[in-house]
Amino acid sequence: MITLKNFTVKAGEKIILKNINYAFEKNKVYCLMGPNGSGKSTFAYAISGHPGYELDEKSKIYFEKQDITDLSSDKRAKKGIFLSFQTPLSLNGVNVFQLLRLALSGTKDPLKIKKEIEIFAKKLNIKKELIERSLNDGASGGEKKKLEMLQAAIINPKFLILDEVDTGVDVDALRSIGRFLDEFKKEKTIVLITHYSRILKYINPDKVLVIIDGKIQKEGTKELVKEIEDKGYGKTS
Amino acid sequence: MNDDKNLQFDYRYGFSMPENYVFKARKGLDEEIVKEISFLKKEPIWMTKFRLQAYQAFKKRSLPLWGADLSSINFDDIYYYIKPLKDQKKSWQDLPKEIKETYDKIGVPEAEKKFLAGVSAQYESEVVYKNIQKELARQGVIFVDMDTGLRDYPEIVKKYFGTVVSLYDNKFASLNSAVWSGGSFVYVPSGVKVSLPLQAYFRINAQNFGQFERTLIIAEEGSYVHYLEGCLPAGQMILTSEGYKNIEAIKPGDFVYTSSGYLSKVKSTMTRNYFDYLYEVIPLSPENKFYLTKEHPVLAIKRKKVLVKRKKRFNWLEEVNTEKLIQTKPEYIEIENLEKGDFIIFPKIKDQIIEKKDIFSDELMELFGFYLAEGSAFYHQKLKQYIVSFSFSKKEKENYCRVIELIEKITEKKPNLFIDDKKNEAKISIYSKYLFDILIKNCGKYSSEKFISQEIIFQKKEKLEKLFWSYFKGDGNLSIKNKTSHLYRINTASKNLAFSIQLILNKIGIFASIGFRKGGKDKILNREIKRKNQYIIRFTMPKKWSEVRETGNYYIVPIKSLKKKKVEIPVFNIEVDGNNSYLVKGFAVHNCTAPIYTTDSLHSAVVEIIVKKGARVRYTTVQNWSKNVYNLVTKRAKVEEEATMEWIDCNLGSKITMKYPSCILTGRKAKGEVLSIAYASENQLQDAGAKMIHLASETSSRIVSKSIAGRGGRTSYRGLVHVSPNASKSSSYVSCDALILDEDSRSDTYPTMKIENKKTHIQHEATVEKIGEEKLFYLQSRGIKKSDAEGLLVNGFIEPVAKEIPLEYTIELNRLINLEMSGSVG
Repeated sequence: MITLKNFTVKAGEKIILKNINYAFEKNKVYCLMGPNGSGKSTFAYAISGHPGYELDEKSKIYFEKQDITDLSSDKRAKKGIFLSFQTPLSLNGVNVFQLLRLALSGTKDPLKIKKEIEIFAKKLNIKKELIERSLNDGASGGEKKKLEMLQAAIINPKFLILDEVDTGVDVDALRSIGRFLDEFKKEKTIVLITHYSRILKYINPDKVLVIIDGKIQKEGTKELVKEIEDKGYGKTS
Repeated sequence: MNDDKNLQFDYRYGFSMPENYVFKARKGLDEEIVKEISFLKKEPIWMTKFRLQAYQAFKKRSLPLWGADLSSINFDDIYYYIKPLKDQKKSWQDLPKEIKETYDKIGVPEAEKKFLAGVSAQYESEVVYKNIQKELARQGVIFVDMDTGLRDYPEIVKKYFGTVVSLYDNKFASLNSAVWSGGSFVYVPSGVKVSLPLQAYFRINAQNFGQFERTLIIAEEGSYVHYLEGCLPAGQMILTSEGYKNIEAIKPGDFVYTSSGYLSKVKSTMTRNYFDYLYEVIPLSPENKFYLTKEHPVLAIKRKKVLVKRKKRFNWLEEVNTEKLIQTKPEYIEIENLEKGDFIIFPKIKDQIIEKKDIFSDELMELFGFYLAEGSAFYHQKLKQYIVSFSFSKKEKENYCRVIELIEKITEKKPNLFIDDKKNEAKISIYSKYLFDILIKNCGKYSSEKFISQEIIFQKKEKLEKLFWSYFKGDGNLSIKNKTSHLYRINTASKNLAFSIQLILNKIGIFASIGFRKGGKDKILNREIKRKNQYIIRFTMPKKWSEVRETGNYYIVPIKSLKKKKVEIPVFNIEVDGNNSYLVKGFAVHNCTAPIYTTDSLHSAVVEIIVKKGARVRYTTVQNWSKNVYNLVTKRAKVEEEATMEWIDCNLGSKITMKYPSCILTGRKAKGEVLSIAYASENQLQDAGAKMIHLASETSSRIVSKSIAGRGGRTSYRGLVHVSPNASKSSSYVSCDALILDEDSRSDTYPTMKIENKKTHIQHEATVEKIGEEKLFYLQSRGIKKSDAEGLLVNGFIEPVAKEIPLEYTIELNRLINLEMSGSVG
């Protein structure tokens, strides 16, 4: 699905990700963990094409075997890459429908988008007024994350990076998100960036990756999460 | 009349026209000129005195020392009054064209005319105007131009004129008071609520469009009126690399087809106001009709050049010699010099790849055709499957077997075939996400929404033939007239589809006409049926239409009808690289040669509004002056007890705008509101704001200002809230937000608060933000292009104000902003 070659990412002068080589397989769920500052969010941003991060010359990103290294973030998104933000921004005067309508113009008709928003908002337990209001305006942490999921559901990408979708989320919201993801994961590749195992109750990762100091240091199964939770990052074998 | 000595216009731009004026004031201003203006307008003495006093005030007053630099305005270089004719004509329509051209050319009303509005309704405007006037008259509402107002309602005018904006108010108000001409006079009697907004559009009197217009609105107790000045776009369909687009939506850098049949880049786009004949050209294909201003050159061949000596036949014009016609080189001829029966040119569209597009297989193209005619696609919620289905009549075995074959080839899956004997139907369905996606993307979903994507249109001729003929099998029918002429006909409910099919046929090498049949109730064999609007595509084969000839590069199509109509509308034009032509509804026309005004001009209006007890007035402006206009306007309302005044003010155009709509809250519980949007781009300064003067208790005011500066433009908010000692328990809310799009642009805020009463509640909020990289990234990560993302954010920024404007103006506002935005990003 996505293959990273010599993936080295800088923010300003600082090298954050160091020569990562990794292939994410199609239709698998990955759990990406790591201590604070290890480069998890950079990883998410760089794959989505954030202009603030600079890739090393040799770095390559392939999406379904196509080189997308030089594509802008909107073009990557059009190919099927979606990023759920750790702290979604609020957009004044722009509601989720307006956003999705523009994002999907030419691919999905607006009426259908409207209908789908209703359907998924119900599924995710999102209050109606949040849908009509400016996006994320006055929304709680959990609501913001649910709105991210709503956008993912309607844009229907092939590759999703969920940057701490479980952070700042109460139990009920976590359940809604978790259940939704478990249903939604079919025919999708998901990279779940998280600090906690609690979301893994709902969605089972095929692989767990641990990123420390800008490198993928460990790769394992769900058991690895437990090990980390018990012993911390420093002491896992 | 053609006395050159009297021609006092500036001929730099090559204008030349017969002199038809009785009086034209000298350049510059003095007491004599002011007197003459008043005399020629046959005004009462008090108005003459008023003007003279104002002139003295204007002379004494210096330019404002704050705000914009106005020192480059040369007051001696302006014509302050031109009296058009011996007798006042009743309406603009009655005026000779020279006058209208002159008005255009001296640049007097240049941009104010943009406020004219709805081109979609241009042909109905007169009717609408009359109906509205009738209804208004029934209610006792007066809505006339200011000169008529002064003549017919002198007592009312005398009572209120200059009472809200004193002739001493400021230099430009004094100037306006001295030389004013035109504007509106509105009087709403007690308790009358005018439901429709009164639009500047409906004012068709010539006198309304001045540099120095004066508007007076009086709303009696308990009445309501909404007065609106704004502009709406025209909509001629131009053939571009993305299919047909409305002309006003075309931007520099877009690609359009030219008379050669190839794409060329758009260099620039222009808008101007047009007060004259608009020609409706209906060619052999009636739905391809288009509209042009009279001097617009069209690629054409005159019939009289190619006649043969034979008599008329078939109730049509004299015959032409086909050989001659084909060999005659078409030339650009102004539409006003063409007539019915002349020929215009429908260029053959050439294959041209401008960017990498997918290439579709022959099978897929053929399936597209069947799908356009008989297919639909949907997602089945329960089955969680993407389904594509086709339904044919049971008889059409050949067709549905072919569809099954095609689907098998494309998807390597076997579709379901279900034959319903009761319904006489053969239904094919297939679960395929791939097919679903590609069909929806390229052809749409339901029958009335079907379209043909640009990817398809860019395919080669041979591929297009596959699509067309399978589409024809589904939706077309063939009537055989004789050996050489078979009539092929296709009906569709989708206008888009009809034009796309015409384009595809053009690429295949067939000229097809498009006709229209209006839907509605009909009877067939005594059964009531409801018919949809239908577009009917027709062509003949193997022999082509006898009236349409073809050469290797174009079709020669006769004009079936040519009508002209006087209009007052904004018109649009584009300038194209290379051979300076573009295609309107497929027909070749030249870049317009109409002049563009480059001299700076001054617009200095005064608007006075009196809102009596319990009345409410809303005044909406969408200002899009051309970028050479100094727009210095004084707008003020006197708001009495429990009355409400709302100013909604959107400023996009002009070189410099200084405008601060004001409310003087004189009665208890009076309310004032100013909602404004300002957008300043390159070389523009929008110095806008509001003034709220609280003179009575329990008065309230609200100012919401949204300004956007980009490409080096500058916006300033300048506001005053004054609460006098008498105004206890008053409240005021001020919020001014500025959005800055880049490093070169600037925004300032100059709020002034003069609070002389302690029992007041004042709230002031101001924000300045830059369009954030992070927000842009957020939107881009959803698949939105950067320029679209900026547009979305800007439109989101102004939304709190924009939502107060009638929908059609909001759309226009968003469009204008997107237009400005698209130039500002790389």
